[in-house]
Amino acid sequence: MDDSEDVPKDFIKLKSEKLSVDEVSELVISPYCGAVSLFIGTTRNNFEGKKVIHLEYEAYTSMAETEIKKICRDVRQKWPSVQHIAVHHRLGVVPVTEASVIIAVSSPHRAESLEAVMYCINTLKASVPIWKKEIYEDEYSWKENKECFWANSEK
Amino acid sequence: QVSVLYFARSAELAGLRCETLSVPRQITSLQLWEEIVKVHPRLAVIQDQVVFAVRQEYVLLGDQLLVLQPGDEIAIIPPISGG
Repeated sequence: MDDSEDVPKDFIKLKSEKLSVDEVSELVISPYCGAVSLFIGTTRNNFEGKKVIHLEYEAYTSMAETEIKKICRDVRQKWPSVQHIAVHHRLGVVPVTEASVIIAVSSPHRAESLEAVMYCINTLKASVPIWKKEIYEDEYSWKENKECFWANSEK
Repeated sequence: QVSVLYFARSAELAGLRCETLSVPRQITSLQLWEEIVKVHPRLAVIQDQVVFAVRQEYVLLGDQLLVLQPGDEIAIIPPISGG
């Protein structure tokens, strides 16, 4: 097996089990990279004064994976030195403080991986068909990302 | 005959997650929405906030002419909230 080039890879996973920061960072580590940048999205316990019991996520899974692949492709165009990209998103019930999404990017120097991680999460929120339901004590609410251009949150 | 997938609030309003519908091969995206609302009138309340995904590409509700093949997958996409 020829490791000398460490071919850039995208690691995309949608799963209902608890996400692991260790697992996701290890996927992107590379001997050619001096930087690994991470974003972890976690569940807050409150929204507008209401107590959040947990979140529930659902996805149009096949299209979500395709859209995340598009994001990875865009990242590599904008930051060609990026080595590996990993995006893990949890589906189903996510209790408060647990992670819903973990994004990790490796690059030789830190600027590219930091910028690429920010781009990934911002673009994911604008374009990937995943939905979050916030469960409160006596009601629930389907959330709408402000990045989503077809949500009319001002109306 | 196309497959229609419902997600999030649209699945709650329609009461189901997927079904097959018969629609004309050529139809605008707004006309397609109107066909679906005939079957599930409760969906009308979210008309201003949804888009379609036709063969996994986003399509706004409007005059865009869709050329559909049998078995094509159409999804109703309420405002997303991933991440």
